[in-house]
Amino acid sequence: MGTASIVLNLAWRNLWRNYRRTAIMLVAVVVGVWAMIFMSAMMRGMVDGMLVGSIRSLPGHVQIHNPNFRDDPTVNNLFPSPNENLIAVLEQEDVVAWSSRVRVPAVVMSERNFRGVTLIGIDPVAEVSVSFVADDMTEGRFLLGTEDTGLILGRRLAERLETEVGKRVVVLTQDPSNEIVDRGFRVIGVYEAQVASTEEIYAFVGRSTLQTLLGIGGQVSEIAVLGADYRDTEALYHRINAAVGNRLEVLPWYELNRYLSSMLGMMDGFVLIWIVVIFLALSFGLVNTLMMSVFERVREIGLMMALGMKPGVILGQIITESLMLLGMGLLIGDVFAWVTIQRLREGIDLSAVSEGLEMMGAGSVLTPSLQASDVVLATIVVLVLGFLASLFPAMRASRYHPVDAMTKV
Amino acid sequence: MSITFRLAWRNIWRQPRRTWLTVGALVFSNILLIFLISVQLGTYLMMIDNTLAPLTGHLQVQYEGYKDDQRIHQAVPAVRGLAADIRERLSLETIAARGAAFALTSSEDRTYGVQIIGVEPEFEPRISTLPGLIKEGRFLDDINAPEIVIGAVLARNLRVQLGDELTILGSARDGSFAATVVRIVGIFESGMVELDRSFAEIPLGFFQDTFVMDGAGHTVVINAQNLFSVSTLQQQVQALLPDMEGLVVHDWDDLQPGLRQAIQADLLGAWFMYGVLVILVAFSVLNTQLMSVLERTREFGITMSLGLTSGRLGWLIMLETAMIGLLGLGLGVFLGGLVVYWFTVNGFTYPGLELAAQFNLPDRIYPNLNSISLLVGPCIVFLASLVAAVYPAARVHFLQPVQAMRAA
Amino acid sequence: MYAVRCIDVRKIYKQGDEDVIGLNGVSIEVEEGGFVCLRSPSGGGKTTLLNVMGGLDRPDSGEIWIAGKRIDNLSKAPLARMRLHRIGFVFQAYNLIPVLTARENVEFVMQVQGVSVVDRKKRSLEILSEVGLEGLEDRRPAKMSGGQQQRVAVARAIASNPAIVLADEPTANLDSNTARHLMELFVELNQHRGTTFVIATHDQMVMSYARRLIRMLDGKLVEDIDQEAV
Repeated sequence: MGTASIVLNLAWRNLWRNYRRTAIMLVAVVVGVWAMIFMSAMMRGMVDGMLVGSIRSLPGHVQIHNPNFRDDPTVNNLFPSPNENLIAVLEQEDVVAWSSRVRVPAVVMSERNFRGVTLIGIDPVAEVSVSFVADDMTEGRFLLGTEDTGLILGRRLAERLETEVGKRVVVLTQDPSNEIVDRGFRVIGVYEAQVASTEEIYAFVGRSTLQTLLGIGGQVSEIAVLGADYRDTEALYHRINAAVGNRLEVLPWYELNRYLSSMLGMMDGFVLIWIVVIFLALSFGLVNTLMMSVFERVREIGLMMALGMKPGVILGQIITESLMLLGMGLLIGDVFAWVTIQRLREGIDLSAVSEGLEMMGAGSVLTPSLQASDVVLATIVVLVLGFLASLFPAMRASRYHPVDAMTKV
Repeated sequence: MSITFRLAWRNIWRQPRRTWLTVGALVFSNILLIFLISVQLGTYLMMIDNTLAPLTGHLQVQYEGYKDDQRIHQAVPAVRGLAADIRERLSLETIAARGAAFALTSSEDRTYGVQIIGVEPEFEPRISTLPGLIKEGRFLDDINAPEIVIGAVLARNLRVQLGDELTILGSARDGSFAATVVRIVGIFESGMVELDRSFAEIPLGFFQDTFVMDGAGHTVVINAQNLFSVSTLQQQVQALLPDMEGLVVHDWDDLQPGLRQAIQADLLGAWFMYGVLVILVAFSVLNTQLMSVLERTREFGITMSLGLTSGRLGWLIMLETAMIGLLGLGLGVFLGGLVVYWFTVNGFTYPGLELAAQFNLPDRIYPNLNSISLLVGPCIVFLASLVAAVYPAARVHFLQPVQAMRAA
Repeated sequence: MYAVRCIDVRKIYKQGDEDVIGLNGVSIEVEEGGFVCLRSPSGGGKTTLLNVMGGLDRPDSGEIWIAGKRIDNLSKAPLARMRLHRIGFVFQAYNLIPVLTARENVEFVMQVQGVSVVDRKKRSLEILSEVGLEGLEDRRPAKMSGGQQQRVAVARAIASNPAIVLADEPTANLDSNTARHLMELFVELNQHRGTTFVIATHDQMVMSYARRLIRMLDGKLVEDIDQEAV
């Protein structure tokens, strides 16, 4: 107890003896820690953006399909509209929203041009809380109900087709017996997606309208379920999977989009590597600083030993100084990083390179996302590696022979 | 060697451990920078290559406005003649003509909207990797045959196999219906889902007949020797184009604007990381040099009493820093070069990379080591070290002799 | 002609919050070829006087003249040039550059003066043998005794043929025998080269070599004895 407080007191005062050196090292640690946290938050933010965007642009957190649908996503692989049992499963507290859809490949023809799309029949009321379309409408109106006979297109597709809100287009698709069916639709709205290539892929109509066109009764292609947080879909997935049984295939988003889930996994690796690299860059300076402070104090260390301080205490002394310095750096660096991230809460506008970000599947606004686990990781890495790095100078200090040390100039 | 140099050299070895630690920090960051910059360069070049190689090419001659609107009547007249002409005048073989149209493609029981591309079977393999990616069957060989090659995903979606027939239905250049039947002779698989799902190639002559193109096409694709000679080639091609026909030459950056921006977006993050690394190393140098200056204050006082100006002593500190910096530069470039060279030969991968096909990236990365990727990082680190030494040097510069000699 | 001339020189230092009088109206002339000792108790002003004479420190008021040139109003660079060519300094101890050998320490000054490599080498060897260090030219200071180090410092001080050598307690860290040898070297250089010496000391033995002995107290001259006359 007594020794501990002496050691702490001495460590603190020794740190500020050569305040310039300590201050420089402290600034370096602060910059390093700031960069660790800030960059991690940016990387997380990037992946978050990609995930949220991607989840919003349809899958939800968990999806239910006919087991053959993923291999052959056509009108041939449907399943009956949810019965009471399934609805009961979906109306639980952990489900934020859910929506059932009909999803078929189709061709949209205008007077001038035609393009292949994925045509999705939705229930607009349920869909509003699950996917992006309603929020991203820029022109016209959204669908009013499953019976609505209007069509919603993406902005780019409308441009390619040289059509606009109010004009009529023809939609061609195939019914379950592979017969071509077609019907005219009036374009009632245009949406602009965060990732512009989405705009060329998806077109939306009322679910019942599409079911009637296809002659499939109440059958649907998929049910998308939105939980509270994409990071924690495990429980939701298992509950639904258990309830639905094996007639239908239930998949979480990370199975549906392997690319994104592996990005998420790789990010953990990147964050760790980044933190370690930064620390290594710092460690040279840290060891240097400690060595200098040991060399300067050789006589003093000899004196302390002569007064009866054990080598172990000397060792602890140097390590305490090092950890104190790193601790301060961590604290200040974390605060700076937090302030920076708070200031960037609105997101960083990267629209100058938006088409490039789109290639990577991210939107043009990057919002840093601070994860507590990254801060903890940075703290552990800095303190543990910091401890190891200080061992070398500290051991040197504790190995001096008192008389030699005191007579050294 | 002048005494000043000797003095500086010996001064940095007064505390060998400290100097080595500082040099170590420089070497560490230099190796890291060489590695990262080489990997970046390698990745970018591969990303560009892999994105451009299947279809886009380096340069395309098109009718003005076609790039954005892609209307069938925005055509290049006598496209095969133009391609042949450019081929001859530039004595470059990597040139081919194409036509393109959107069409409904139907098998017995499925219909999908597909981009149909008319190609010259003789020249297409020289500008595109798709003919080499045929997994089943063969590539086209007759410019007028009613044949088609399609992507593997499209084949699965259409539920067709090699030898099956497909019906193509679209609108021709004159507004009439374009309808024809073709036989599948080849199925390609690029691994890029978008490509494998929505593209099909037929012979250009047959394409022109079907879509009533009257000898016209939509693009002449031209590949340069490498990426760096594209802009020269673009000027040459531009000069060769017949006047008054509204033809333009687009380079790959025009055709795939996302590509350059994806690289820029990635660079943004990369420069931030490099910046932080360089700053941390600069702090290390700053600390070392400041300590070294503070220790020698008395000595500087004596040297000044001999008649040296403090300005010269300031330069001495810069010289010492430059020596440490050069040591870090030399060792860093040597070791970094060795390490990265090993990777350029053997490549490397990391878990998750197999999914990078979505970025048009291969699953194994080969860094690109050249004089730029080898020297840019270390040179910046060297300059940063010199900048870091300005403060210690300035302290010496403003030292007063008497005050200096009083220092312990 | 005077080697150095001070006219009513005043200098006040700050030490903490207090003003300490360094020099309080000192006027002194040292003739060319003089051999002068300054004695005073600690804080009496002798080091301050040497520093302002050598242009290391600037007086608050008064004039300093070296070999007919006024120096107290010179700026940094010309002052350094003046020190380089006209003045040699010898301090108590540790006043060599530790990473340079004896010869390099001497040559360093000459290099700064712009002496050619060949001349530099020749002259530094001559001077080192003149101060009795033949055979030790390539040793670094750490491998030499205190007396030898001081001889190197003397060699360095006279390498530029200065008008005046200012020595601040040159024998303070030497045993009496070595100190005596150093003083004999000073006398010899004074006689053969005509170099002017001003030595600050409180060592009686050193004073015994002086032809003129000046005593200072609280920044003032209190006694000026011509020992030859005595």
